[in-house]
Amino acid sequence: MLIGSVVLVLGFVLFKALSSASVYFYNVDEAIEQKAELADRTFRMQGVVVSEPSTDATGVLSFEVSFNDVNAEIRHIGEEPTDLFELGMPVVVEGRWNGRVFESTQILIKHSETYVAENEGDSSRPGVGENGVLP
Amino acid sequence: MNASELDGPRVKRTVLGQEGRVVSTSSELTRALGVVAIVASVVLVVLGLFVSPADLFQGDNVRLFYLHVPVAIVALYIAFTVTLVGSVMFLLKGSVFWDLLAGAAAEVGVLFLGLTLVTGMLWGRPTWGAYWVWDPRLTSTAVSFVLYLGYLAVRKLEMDPTARSRRAAVLGIVGFANTIIVKYSVSWWRGLHQGSTLKPLDSQIEGLMMFSFFVGVVAMMAVFAWLLVHRFRLAWLQYQVDERQLEVALRERRSEGSSSGLAQGGI
Repeated sequence: MLIGSVVLVLGFVLFKALSSASVYFYNVDEAIEQKAELADRTFRMQGVVVSEPSTDATGVLSFEVSFNDVNAEIRHIGEEPTDLFELGMPVVVEGRWNGRVFESTQILIKHSETYVAENEGDSSRPGVGENGVLP
Repeated sequence: MNASELDGPRVKRTVLGQEGRVVSTSSELTRALGVVAIVASVVLVVLGLFVSPADLFQGDNVRLFYLHVPVAIVALYIAFTVTLVGSVMFLLKGSVFWDLLAGAAAEVGVLFLGLTLVTGMLWGRPTWGAYWVWDPRLTSTAVSFVLYLGYLAVRKLEMDPTARSRRAAVLGIVGFANTIIVKYSVSWWRGLHQGSTLKPLDSQIEGLMMFSFFVGVVAMMAVFAWLLVHRFRLAWLQYQVDERQLEVALRERRSEGSSSGLAQGGI
């Protein structure tokens, strides 16, 4: 009885803490919708890379991410992302809004649980579902 | 090695106090388990490092999959389940067997969970771009690691053994509640960690990769079972030694008590 209630309370506390604290990332559409509330706060944003990333002379990495058909422009200054970073990859960028542009300081690759042999010759992107929406 | 080989020069001091007999934690079962563990591990190394293909996106980093996921499965779903069952049974029946089994499984489980964290970090850096992120899966796993370390610490407390085992059993059950949270953390909340790998019959993993993973699970299960049986038997022997020592101490105390009592009576 005592043990049962301890377990229940602990589970409830953990669940509430993890779910209400703050989400690990906002999706692009949510981050744009809540731009006013987010203001200049640092947060993470998830989307699929939809434009060919390019680096300018000053070392700024620029690309666009998309989620639910909403796009955002990213300007990244910081450590280079891993080799998996490319067009079509889902990423989580950390940073904040500066006007229309999201200024990123970290790019994390969000890889899915799908594995495909390299020599299969299949260049489809199993990590990304239809319309760039993650499964 | 069996008991008779260990006998060698006949020794007076033995684990169980029977003269000339050394007790070993090995048996037919552990020898068989040991062979399975070694063979499966060798097959895993060959398959995982050489035979299986590189991943289209991750390249050779995907090879960590065949170790990381199996050790996680063994720690969370096997070891801590044994600890849960042992804890519940101990609270119901109060038998030392269940208590020691729960403790042994937790100890080996913490080892496997530590391996899960280390292999995960080594995989995360070249794939995600960070060794560690505070996403729900990683955070809940870290909580699990600390909880079971706490469980092991409670088992070492200097207090009445039965009360101590009860406390540990409660923690062994609470710890499992968190294990369930670890399991569903990838579906309940958003995070960087990939989703559940185990979707039976709906696998999105290529054949040879899936087979390597399967061999990894078998190998790690065999290693776990081998370690668990040895660890449990060691704990069982330790328990019997403690009991014997307690008996001897009580007997000595009693005889001392009675003799000094007589002496005092004489004065």
